[in-house]
Amino acid sequence: MATKNKHAIRVGLFIFIGLIFFTVGVLAIGNINKTFTKTFLIKTVFDDVSGLQPGNNIWLSGVKIGTVKEINFNENTQVEVIMKIEKKSQQYIRKNAKAKISSEGLIGNKIIVISGGTPDSAPVENGDALPIEKTYSTEKMMNTLQENNINMLTITDNLKIMSEKMIEGQGTIGKLLNDETLYKNLEHTVATLTRAAENTQELTASVSNFTKKLNEKGGFANDLVTDTIIFNNIRQSVAQLKEVISTADEFANNLKDASVDINNNTNSPLGILLHDEKSAASLKLSIQNLESSTEKLDETMEALQHNFLLKGYFKKKDKNDDTE
Amino acid sequence: MSLKKREHITTKGLDDYFLGIYNAFKFVRLFFREVFKPPFEFKEIIRQCYEIGYKSLPLITLTGFVTGIVFTKQSRPSLVEFGAASWLPGLIAIAVVRALAPLVTALISAGKIGSNIGAELGSMRVSEQIDAMEVSAINPFKFLVVTRVTATTLMIPVLMMYFAFVGLLGSFLNVNQNEHTSFIAFFQSAFSPISFLDVFTGLFKSIMYGFTIGMVGCYKGYNASRGTEGVGKAANMSVVISMFLIFIEEIVIVQISNWIRIA
Repeated sequence: MATKNKHAIRVGLFIFIGLIFFTVGVLAIGNINKTFTKTFLIKTVFDDVSGLQPGNNIWLSGVKIGTVKEINFNENTQVEVIMKIEKKSQQYIRKNAKAKISSEGLIGNKIIVISGGTPDSAPVENGDALPIEKTYSTEKMMNTLQENNINMLTITDNLKIMSEKMIEGQGTIGKLLNDETLYKNLEHTVATLTRAAENTQELTASVSNFTKKLNEKGGFANDLVTDTIIFNNIRQSVAQLKEVISTADEFANNLKDASVDINNNTNSPLGILLHDEKSAASLKLSIQNLESSTEKLDETMEALQHNFLLKGYFKKKDKNDDTE
Repeated sequence: MSLKKREHITTKGLDDYFLGIYNAFKFVRLFFREVFKPPFEFKEIIRQCYEIGYKSLPLITLTGFVTGIVFTKQSRPSLVEFGAASWLPGLIAIAVVRALAPLVTALISAGKIGSNIGAELGSMRVSEQIDAMEVSAINPFKFLVVTRVTATTLMIPVLMMYFAFVGLLGSFLNVNQNEHTSFIAFFQSAFSPISFLDVFTGLFKSIMYGFTIGMVGCYKGYNASRGTEGVGKAANMSVVISMFLIFIEEIVIVQISNWIRIA
């Protein structure tokens, strides 16, 4: 009986232990994957972690890649966060990637979001520290919003005062709104402006027409602009003109030289003519003599015409002239 | 000293405890041997189903209805805070189908049915009716234990489903009062997050709880010690142990179902 009992007790013990193993095993099964996942540690230092806790998730591009392992203060009273990251995600986190505190949805748990990082940077290693990305806390946003609200209030107050003044007819806009004369003047101005605009329209039409003509093929302006042959001719002409000018210039220089020479060289015939008074006087006399000689020659010739020897010739000549 | 050592493997208390486990194991083994062996006591099984299932309906209705209303009432503030009151039906449905219905039904049944079975069989044992059955060539295990355990195993899932339905009705009542949601809208919203796995896990849990309640009640009653005190003890112990086991099973099954859900 005692041996049978002992046997029964042993079986009972075995069943008991078996059940315990089963229960513990099943409870552990849920976390079994995580227990055997290879991980590595990286850290980052924040000024403020906004209630982040160990065990909170770490996201990379919206994918959970690890959890927060530890949160400690460092000597500068900053918060050092040690993150446990899955080994398989290591290659995707670059050394220049940045970490920031965010939350799962609007009101969810705090999380660390790792983002950025360029492929040319090396992947992070165990123990690396990631730089942080500056974020704006809700409190700061609210403060800015509050400032905006105050500004808005001032603006709306001002608008209110403005509109009141406008209704009362104060100020330029107020007068514009309320003053009949001003309105009429404005109307008149607008009418004038309309006319002016019409004139301008006509003018622009004319200008347009003119430019159209300019654009017409065969026109001088168009040819000037578009015809390359004419342009070449003009260019040639200009070159020739330039040549002419340079020749003229040379000619003028020669002339100048000559005149200088004349002026300076008193022995040359022209110099004598210009500068020697005696010569001038004799020249003058010579001319006078020449004048009187020609007069006398004229007279002599007249007398010759009446000479009987030559009379016949002159008569014949007159006759020929008349027939022609 | 050496003689004492030979008498007990560990200590006397622990030895008795392990012996109890062995006996329970033997009892369960015997049940599985008997349950598939003809003759089947269908008439008695149906009578037990009636006793266990039908007669528990008023209690289950009340508890289910109250649970539904109270759970909805208590959940509303936290959801309203996020403007998510429309998620209430889905939330309640998940809570009821996955956890509340199987667990509360099992606990209530453990109290009502477990104690009933324990006391009934205990008094039969004490009044030597079981011994008399053995003498008169009726297999008392088959007639008393197999029928009852089969009945609880079949009836607790039914009661669980009924509990879930009544609980959702209670929840609908509360939601309708507050958000004026229609019946159709409520149940569409309630069933949309429920998957087959949820229903299957709930049913499986109920089957396990039913089996546990029947088994523990029968074991404690069947092995009740002599005397009227034994009857009370058997009733009491069957409730305590079945509740304890229900919680252990709950945590194990939830763990497994979550594992399946993720995988």
